[in-house]
Amino acid sequence: MFKKFDEKEGVSGILQLKSSVQKGIRSKLLEQYPHLEGYIDAILPKKDNLRIVKCHDHIEIIVNTGGDLLFFRQREGLWMPTLRLFHKYPFFLPMQQVDKGAIRFVLSGANIMCPGLTSPGAKMTDVPKGTVVAIMAEGKQHALSIGITTLSTDDIAKVNKGVGVENCHYLNDGLWHMKPVK
Amino acid sequence: MTEDSRLIMGPKEGVNYPMQVIYCGNCSMPIEYCEYYPEYDKCKQWLEKNLPSEFEKVKIGDESSEATGEEEKKRQKRGGKGMIKTKKKEDGPKQVCISRAPRGKKKSVTVVTGMSSFNIDLKVAAKFFGTKFACGSSVTGDDEIVIQGDVKDDLFDIIPEKWPEIDEDLIEDLGDQKR
Repeated sequence: MFKKFDEKEGVSGILQLKSSVQKGIRSKLLEQYPHLEGYIDAILPKKDNLRIVKCHDHIEIIVNTGGDLLFFRQREGLWMPTLRLFHKYPFFLPMQQVDKGAIRFVLSGANIMCPGLTSPGAKMTDVPKGTVVAIMAEGKQHALSIGITTLSTDDIAKVNKGVGVENCHYLNDGLWHMKPVK
Repeated sequence: MTEDSRLIMGPKEGVNYPMQVIYCGNCSMPIEYCEYYPEYDKCKQWLEKNLPSEFEKVKIGDESSEATGEEEKKRQKRGGKGMIKTKKKEDGPKQVCISRAPRGKKKSVTVVTGMSSFNIDLKVAAKFFGTKFACGSSVTGDDEIVIQGDVKDDLFDIIPEKWPEIDEDLIEDLGDQKR
């Protein structure tokens, strides 16, 4: 999604959010990520004025007053945390672990293929299709990518071919390099 | 932390959130991923300079992985290139150019270009110049600040003072511009 993203060309406008909309986003995030409860105030303080950065391809990014990028989504899809945020709170997404061989492909933006999730070095947590997951790697501590499952984990194990998780945001992509928005 | 419990969701006990992650200054990724960056050597250099303790750990990790290198050879390698391309950094001439442009018959403005090559926010810089010289100052182009009034001589002192990374020698005087 952000492979060719560029801060200068990609951003089309920044909007201040109404507080009612902010509340809506908060409750949606809590509904989507129940584990955020108790931490949502640290991530999105109640008094904070959120802004939304509108980008091309119908991408929207939530930005707090400090300019840090927090969550993003495409069209009316699910809100996904940016990797910088997820590194700070690495617990609220279901995690999938890929084997060592897959790391370099993921880091260059490839979708996660089923064999990379089923081989001995990999581990899966059970999730249905269409869930936002964090991609971890064998022997590494931090997440390297955020994606959406295109198959349920059972199907991934069964089919074992083709794309299992769609790579939405990975280390060193355009969003990762985006500077805090003033 | 065992491997199995790693993937379980929910905050872990005894860990204070937000967690601090150390990022490499060269490739900007968490340092454990540096080895997948094409310019790994530069990352290592950066690490050695800035975080010697972490560098030692990486070094140990490297040696042990070399020992298991043979095992890795036996394992089937996946096809494809899968190499990350380094983004070419635009290493143009890093310098700030200052010139004076006439404005009307007896007034002039100062044009400053090249500030963004030092990763300086132009908007902030323009505001700073405006308050410093008590005059109008605005960002007029991609990499251009126009300060109203002739403040060229003062800039040579003030820019290195405010942004220590800009040496006075890096500031070029282009003299007068014609309109």
